[in-house]
Amino acid sequence: MGIHSFWIFDRHCNCIYDREWTLLSNSGSGTINSKQNDETAKLLYGMVYSLRTITQKLSHGSMKNEIRTIATGKYLVHIFCTASGLWFILLSDFRQQSYSQVLHYIYGHIYVKYVANNLLSPIDFAENKNETRGQGFRKITNRNFIKSLEAFLAPMVAK
Amino acid sequence: MERREPTEHQSAQQQAQLFEKSLPKVNQLAFNMLLNELVPLSMAVENDIHDMAVKDSNAEDVTVEVLAGDVDKKVVLKDDDTEEEKEQAPKYKIGEQSHKLIQQIYNLDDEYRSNSVAERIQNVGFQIGSKLCELLVFSNNPTISFRDMDLLAVMKFVCRDVWKQVYGKQIDNLKTNHRGTFYLLDYDYKPIQTFALDLDPEQQEKELKLVEPFLEIPVGIIKGVLSSLGFPKDEVICVTSFVDRPDDRPRSLFPKGVSFHVQVNRR
Repeated sequence: MGIHSFWIFDRHCNCIYDREWTLLSNSGSGTINSKQNDETAKLLYGMVYSLRTITQKLSHGSMKNEIRTIATGKYLVHIFCTASGLWFILLSDFRQQSYSQVLHYIYGHIYVKYVANNLLSPIDFAENKNETRGQGFRKITNRNFIKSLEAFLAPMVAK
Repeated sequence: MERREPTEHQSAQQQAQLFEKSLPKVNQLAFNMLLNELVPLSMAVENDIHDMAVKDSNAEDVTVEVLAGDVDKKVVLKDDDTEEEKEQAPKYKIGEQSHKLIQQIYNLDDEYRSNSVAERIQNVGFQIGSKLCELLVFSNNPTISFRDMDLLAVMKFVCRDVWKQVYGKQIDNLKTNHRGTFYLLDYDYKPIQTFALDLDPEQQEKELKLVEPFLEIPVGIIKGVLSSLGFPKDEVICVTSFVDRPDDRPRSLFPKGVSFHVQVNRR
C-alpha cells in the first residue's frame, strides 16, 4: 500500500477535504469528506502546526524553513504549504520518500483548475466569522475535483 | 529536393504570424477570468441600483414621519443607527463573493431584474465585440476579406477570427439556411469548462441554469461584431441554448455544448 490518506486544510484551520483509503486492493474503497474523520483531522492539523512552528523557529537566515515530511514509526506525513495558507497533506508508507511533486501537481493542476477556476464554487470555505477559527464544516464537494483527484491518486493506492 | 517559392497566400500568412508575434500579449487565464467576472459584476451593479432605489423610497417615508411630529423618537433612532453603522461597517466595503452573486442571479424571481442583469452583461459583450472587430480588421489579417461583405463572410469571420481571438479556438460548426439564419455550435465552450457543482446528478439542471448567464457574453460579442460590420443591433436576434454533444467527440468536462442561434432581419 502506497498512500493511506489525503487531506486539505484551508487558512482558517478547517479541513476542507479528506480522503481515506481502507483496502489496499481497491482504490475506490474508503471515505470522502467523512464526519468520522473530524477528530483525526484536528489531531493531524495540530501535529503539523506545532512541528511547523518549531521548524520555522529553527531556521537560519531569512529563508522560510517549511516543513516537508514527518516520519513516525508507522507512516510518513508529506506536507505542502502554499502562500495562501492551504495545506496539502498526504499520509503514506515508507516505500517512497518524496511526494512533493505529487502534492505540487495536486495543487497546480487539480485544486487551482477545478476549485479556484470554478466560479460556481466558493474559494473561501468559511462563510462567516463563526467558521473562521477551525469551526468550519464546509468541504470541497466539486464533481470535477473529486473525480480527477481520484483518478490521479488511484495508482498510488494499490500495491 | 527542389525548394518551392512560397505562394502569395503563404507569405502573407507568414507575415501575419510575424505581426502577431510582435503584438503585446496578456495572460489568457487572467483575460478569461476577467470575462467571466462580468457576470457577478453585473449582478453586483444590479444589487446596488436596487438597494439605492429601496433606500430612496425609505428616505421618503422617514421624512413623512418626521413631519408627522415624532421628532424625539426619530433623533434617538438616528443616533442608534450611526453607532451601529460605525461598529458594523469596516473601513472598506467588501463586496459579495462571486459564487454567491451567481447564486443570486439564479434565485432572482423578478423577471424584470434578471432581464436587466442579462442585458447589462450583453452590453459589455457588445462593446467588446465592436472594439475587437475594429482591431481584427485593422490588424491586417490575410484570412479576412470583406470585398462583397455578405452575411456569410461576416459570420465566418465571427467563427474563425473573433472566436480564435477571444477563446483560442474556432467555432466547431456553422449551419445556415442562406436566408439570414445561422447556427453557431461550440461543443466545448472554453470559459465554462471547469464549472461544476456537486457529484449529485440531480443538480445538473441547476448547474446549467447557473451557467446560462455566462452565455450572454458571447451573445453580446456576436452582436457587437455584427453591428460594427453594418448589421445594427435591432436587426439581429441572437439566442443561446445548450445542445448535446455528438458522441464521436472526445469527452469534455462540461457535459453540454453551446449553440448560438443568430437571425438577421434586413429591412
